[in-house]
Amino acid sequence: MKAINDFVAQFNANIPLDESRIVRNRNRYYLLSKKLKHQVPKGFFYAGAYLGAVKGASFFPSFLLLSMIAERKANKLVVDKKTAWLFICGRDIFKQGILKGNNLKKGDYTLILNEHNECLGFGKVMHNLREESDANKVVVKNILDIGDFLRREKRQSRRQQRSSRLQGSDRKPHKPTHK
Amino acid sequence: MPNTKFLLAQLGSYLLMSGKEFFVNRYKKLGWTYKEVKLKQAIRINTMNANRDTVASRLESLGIVLEKIPFLEDGYWIRKSKFSVGATAEYLLGLYSIQEAAAQIPVTLFTELEDKTVLDACASPGGKTVQLANLMNNSGTIVALELKQRKMFALANQLERSRVTNTAVYNMDAKEATNLNMKFDRVLLDVPCSGNPVTDKGWFSKRTIEDVHRNARRQRQILTEAAKVTKDGGEIVYATCSLEPEENELNIDWAIGALNVKVEEINCHGEKGLTTVFGKELDRSIEKCRRIWPEQTQGFFVCKLGKQVG
Repeated sequence: MKAINDFVAQFNANIPLDESRIVRNRNRYYLLSKKLKHQVPKGFFYAGAYLGAVKGASFFPSFLLLSMIAERKANKLVVDKKTAWLFICGRDIFKQGILKGNNLKKGDYTLILNEHNECLGFGKVMHNLREESDANKVVVKNILDIGDFLRREKRQSRRQQRSSRLQGSDRKPHKPTHK
Repeated sequence: MPNTKFLLAQLGSYLLMSGKEFFVNRYKKLGWTYKEVKLKQAIRINTMNANRDTVASRLESLGIVLEKIPFLEDGYWIRKSKFSVGATAEYLLGLYSIQEAAAQIPVTLFTELEDKTVLDACASPGGKTVQLANLMNNSGTIVALELKQRKMFALANQLERSRVTNTAVYNMDAKEATNLNMKFDRVLLDVPCSGNPVTDKGWFSKRTIEDVHRNARRQRQILTEAAKVTKDGGEIVYATCSLEPEENELNIDWAIGALNVKVEEINCHGEKGLTTVFGKELDRSIEKCRRIWPEQTQGFFVCKLGKQVG
């Protein structure tokens, strides 16, 4: 729980999470609705709103948590269409792509929003935005963006291919198809 | 020493009961002339995350040409797109899901989903789980089961991307659903099946009638377990993407006699279920099922079963 609160605080934000409904499953945190908490048995793989995972000393947020922060007062930058696309592709943000939110300072963490105010991820501010005059300078370093959904699928499928090669399971014929 | 005669007989029956000609003949006897169908990619707008028209116009502004699917409220075919619709910001934000048109039908057949307790018995890759959450407006509870460990991460990613918050996922066989000690108002059985030649180009060369029978047996086991965990008066939607009657009408005919369920009327795309299969007369109520021969969509079968009181 502390890991989540500390992470949220980095954005100068505060979200009221009901601690009694947060469940830790291995290194992952989930926020369950009252009904879900009451009804479902233990031993789940995934449940409710996934908040993020702790790996070593670091907290890796989910995009649901980032969206929850984005709904409240927090460090945010709204970027233009082209910058939003490049950010999703893993790129950093140049000053010229920022449409709204120029008062962040070097070292701040900020959410990156598109023109529709949808949260695309977050990054770390590299220069005081108000003082930076070079439009072609990277001002926000990409830390996490929604393109990660595609990248992680590739990582997972590579991992599965490796493990199925080791187990020889890809040789089994006539498995039932699933839609 | 292997019995050569026996092996030759086995090989003979394998050759007779498999292959394109064998299956195409079966379809003809069931009333459908086989033809190759080019599958159209389809999407479904997640209306719990965004307004339908807004998402459609955002996609059109990207140069994606959409065509409304006439028999689905939130479904669109992709008529033209210069890039993958699985790599847009709108997709990654969970505003829509990629889901074949026929596969969007089963979830829409349930009545009153909000605040209900729902079992999605064979959930991966999660398209229908997200659709359920969408129609439930993230209320109530969905329990999603998936047997294969390797499919669990993809299912979880799908739920996170689509901002589903009412679902618990278990790595569990649908045949063991009673171990959950829960009763459900609604049960979705999108059961593992033999598939069909539209979605799998090598289908004819790898499927045999024995595969079909094996899948049908497994589906009956899942149906049996589903009936046990469904509340009296609850609903079970059974769906396959198989064209084989053993996995469809014949299984439902068996379920009517064995499981205290009855087939309920549904109003959706597709033809009436077959009540005569290779000369065998089935329960008349099976015509309330829907069989979708490949044409605008892949092949599909769907029906709704009501769990009877007592």
